[in-house]
Amino acid sequence: MKTLSEVFKKYEAVIGLEIHTELTSLDTKMFCSCKNSSTDPVNQNVCPVCLGMPGALPVPNKDAIKSIVLAGLATNCDIEKNSMFYRKNYFYPDMSKNYQITQGPVAFCMRGHLDLDVPTKAAQERVDIDKEEDGSYIAHIGITRIHMEEDAGKLNHIGGVDGRIAGADHSLIDYNRCGVPLIELVTEPDLRTPEEARLFMQKLREIFLTIKISDCSMEQGSMRCDGNVSLRKRGAKEFGVKTELKNMNSFKNLHDGLEYEIIRQANVLEEGGQVYQETRHWEPSNKRTVVMRTKETADDYRLFPDPDLAPYDLSDEFIDSVREFLPELPDQKRDRYIADYGLSKQDASELAGSLEQSSFFEEALGDKKEIAKSLANIILNNLAGYLNAEGLSISESKISAESISELAELLSSDEISSKQAKDVFAIMIEEDELPRVIVEERGMKQVSDKGAIVELVKEVIAKSPDQVQQYKDGNQKIIGYLVGQAMKASKGQGNPKLINQTLREELDKL
Amino acid sequence: MALTSDDARRIADYARIAVDEGDLGQLADYLNNMMETLAPIKEFDLEGVEPTFHPIGDLTNVMREDEPGKSLPIELALKNAPQTSDRYFRVPTILGGQE
Amino acid sequence: MSFSLDSLSAVELSKLIKSGGVSAKEVTEQAYSLIESRDDKVQAFLELTEDLAFSAAQKIDEARAKGEELPALAGVPMAFKDNMNLIGTHTTCASKMLEGFESVYTATCVQNMLEAGGIPLGKLNLDEFAFGSSTETSYYQTTKNPHDLERVPGGSSGGSAASVAAGESLITLGSDTGGSIRQPAAFCGVVGLKPTYGTVSRYGVVAFASSLDQVGPFSKTVEDNAYALQALAKKDPRDVTSQNITADFISQLTGDIRGKKIGVVSSMIEAKGVSEETKRALRKAQEHLKDLGAELIEVELPHAESAMSAYYVIGPAEAFSNLSRFDAVRYGHQAKASNLGDQTSHSRYEGFGPEVRRRILLGSYILSSELYHEYYYPAQQVRTLITKDYTDAFEKCDVILMPCSPRTAFKFGEIDDPTEMYLSDMFTVSINIAGNGGISLPIGFGDESGLPIAAQLVCPAFKDADLLKVAHALEGCYPKVEVAKIMKAGE
Ligand SMILES: [Mg+2]
Ligand SMILES: [Zn+2]
Repeated sequence: MKTLSEVFKKYEAVIGLEIHTELTSLDTKMFCSCKNSSTDPVNQNVCPVCLGMPGALPVPNKDAIKSIVLAGLATNCDIEKNSMFYRKNYFYPDMSKNYQITQGPVAFCMRGHLDLDVPTKAAQERVDIDKEEDGSYIAHIGITRIHMEEDAGKLNHIGGVDGRIAGADHSLIDYNRCGVPLIELVTEPDLRTPEEARLFMQKLREIFLTIKISDCSMEQGSMRCDGNVSLRKRGAKEFGVKTELKNMNSFKNLHDGLEYEIIRQANVLEEGGQVYQETRHWEPSNKRTVVMRTKETADDYRLFPDPDLAPYDLSDEFIDSVREFLPELPDQKRDRYIADYGLSKQDASELAGSLEQSSFFEEALGDKKEIAKSLANIILNNLAGYLNAEGLSISESKISAESISELAELLSSDEISSKQAKDVFAIMIEEDELPRVIVEERGMKQVSDKGAIVELVKEVIAKSPDQVQQYKDGNQKIIGYLVGQAMKASKGQGNPKLINQTLREELDKL
Repeated sequence: MALTSDDARRIADYARIAVDEGDLGQLADYLNNMMETLAPIKEFDLEGVEPTFHPIGDLTNVMREDEPGKSLPIELALKNAPQTSDRYFRVPTILGGQE
Repeated sequence: MSFSLDSLSAVELSKLIKSGGVSAKEVTEQAYSLIESRDDKVQAFLELTEDLAFSAAQKIDEARAKGEELPALAGVPMAFKDNMNLIGTHTTCASKMLEGFESVYTATCVQNMLEAGGIPLGKLNLDEFAFGSSTETSYYQTTKNPHDLERVPGGSSGGSAASVAAGESLITLGSDTGGSIRQPAAFCGVVGLKPTYGTVSRYGVVAFASSLDQVGPFSKTVEDNAYALQALAKKDPRDVTSQNITADFISQLTGDIRGKKIGVVSSMIEAKGVSEETKRALRKAQEHLKDLGAELIEVELPHAESAMSAYYVIGPAEAFSNLSRFDAVRYGHQAKASNLGDQTSHSRYEGFGPEVRRRILLGSYILSSELYHEYYYPAQQVRTLITKDYTDAFEKCDVILMPCSPRTAFKFGEIDDPTEMYLSDMFTVSINIAGNGGISLPIGFGDESGLPIAAQLVCPAFKDADLLKVAHALEGCYPKVEVAKIMKAGE
């Protein structure tokens, strides 16, 4: 089997994600008052507590608890008032105490969910579900829990190839990251396709950005994702043997790593082989997963309640005070865009799904509700296309909200066509000029003068007797050709709607 | 069921403490002896008794404000380290010799 | 010099300094000369910190000269168990693992004593990592009982008890996880207090079992102990379990305990393992309490016997985890090895002594997933029952009287079976399990052994002021605690 669609005819993939997010917005670490910063010199932000010096004790950061409660509220979790910190005991030199403070069976946030709008294209991977007319569907993804824990330090492996641990001669440890507040979200095994996994991660990232608990940089590792994947025959109830996938540090890697692993497992099963429970590493450059370590038995981490820390009994007042910080979330924003601005669901969902885009949209929109649709169009198509191609974020580009707003006004008032809007946008980037100036200087205004359009249309009809005949014989589609000819004749400046309308009128007169 | 020398070795491995082969038997005896001594803990009627994981006192929701304090100067941080390299702590190969 | 540290309590000494009768410098000089003549025999000190001591003394003398108000224990020679960090000293926990380890910060309890005016003489011997009841497991030296140099000082805070008994220090700090302050205090004939859990900050004290460990003072008198506790009992934002204590421990020491209800656990006093002379001494103590106008009430602690099992489950489990940080990466003895795995396990084998290794392994085993629900969880449930026993008993009484140790100090090497050694804690561990305060108070010398015998008084949680009050009144019924005679001989 070579493709997902082949695999999915016979098998169902069961995917769960574990997503670690550093609370980079906090000033200090989880259990000590060292600075929470990733840019300082090596071992600059260390103290007896985060270095695990003998006798040092942890004290939790209150804002970290607020952040995780906020994250729970934003992902429809139940907030558990009574939870505790546990110690997870294992030896590894990046963890200074050789145990990680994390949570036990009860986490601060339990039983949440996110609903994913899976758009048409992404929806193609899924074959076993009823879809909307446009091919999209909604996936309901359960969140098992979100727990609070501390991050480990950073190891630099020296003497091997590409800084890899295998073959390294020695390793160097920087404990600046050791003790950084980390929340771990675990999903239910509800995801069925790599696209769903990617969309979940994207949506979660947008939510965490919206509630401002982290910079969520996958590149810098402040948001990290591991995946658990298993396959089962369609219709089967039992889960297959799962592998754990690491190093999926971008949305593309998350998708491609899962895709590779699903196909790999399918081929193992097809050949009568056995999938082993193991941890595998996604190698983006080689486009494959390789075994990191095999697990014969479940790890025994000697988990027990940390006696250095107090149990929690969160009050309603505490939780409510956190709730007050809950901003409008992407789903609410999407619904508002549809209701208030009449955007299509797809556009609203796409815009609202990106904090950067939606903030830019709202800034450009101001109180000019009437330009909303055109503005959404320009942002989602022209601007997004340009940013993607250049690998820029909105704030990095030189496009201002005012100029995009002006462009949207020109488009929505029919002063220019969408084809012209595209051209104007290209010039805006090239020449750093305002849209109105560009339009004026180049005489790019859309011709909406009825008289001029009638002249144009008459010329086209005269030049295209064959097509006119076809139209008269009932071929409605041919009108597209005629509109194209008229647009051409207008040098792209004719108002296409008006041309279309005028053409029909003139043809019907014949 | 009594622990064997092999079990004792696994327990020692987990706790990262090397053992002399010759001491494994004695170690297993000690653990078996202790588990027997501690067995009464299993014989209480503990139905419905909540555990006390944390000792007494006003011990809920104890937290600190998110305000930066002093960290250790690098000389103090590295002062007791057996091996360092520049500002780093240094350890020998992590995987080496364990192939 | 016209003063003798041997004949003064810490409170008396501090008054003398404040009145100008003697300088802190002179006191420090005398303390070190006593150490020089006595510590060869007792071997309580692992490290002497003359520089720190004389600079502290100088500050006090300067402040006095300027007419500033001096803190409560100004100029009192003190020393600290060597599991307490003090910047500028080595903190070894009497282990090879921490040989040469230099503290990079100061424990809150030590800081509090220094702020109360203490002169830091040095650091005191203990059982390695505080695991033991005789101080015999120290990697460095064997501390002797000042009353009989052939005998153990008790443990694990053996150095802290012996140093006070030998007259080298007037106040020392120890830590008590299952009796490690009270039992050596009993063996050495000094006052030793384990305050209610949460009274004293644990920050900077190398952890043995986090939910059981508590720091407390040793002294010759109950009053000194109360002053020390007053300095120690401060809420510390660095220790989550540290409580806000508002009690005044000193003003309670009136000697008047008329109407106080003293619970007596006869089944413990009359238990089989308790020596006859200890039984007699405890009966005598009951007579004294009655004479003081207290009411004796029989109480029961039905689950106290199970405390030993709970203690040897919880203690090693927490210790295993607490001692994982000793991996020879950031500090600690490092064995030569070609890879990290071997380096860690050989460093821990070489660095930890046999008793430490045993308890780590026991703890690791107890926490494994197959035993967690069989031993660890039930032990924490038993803890609930033991705590309830005390709560019930304290509905009927204010303070409970019981033995501290079943017998007087034993000889070196007399107990070599670790599990038998564990029995020396039989009367002390339940108090750590429940968290209450307990004090060990000298009640004379054994009529057979001639060695110090102690009573143990226990209070409800955070009623340590009551504990000191009763102990202080009872103390008055006995001759003043003197520095061990053989220490003074030949000087
Ligand atoms: Mg985790
Ligand atoms: Zn720190």
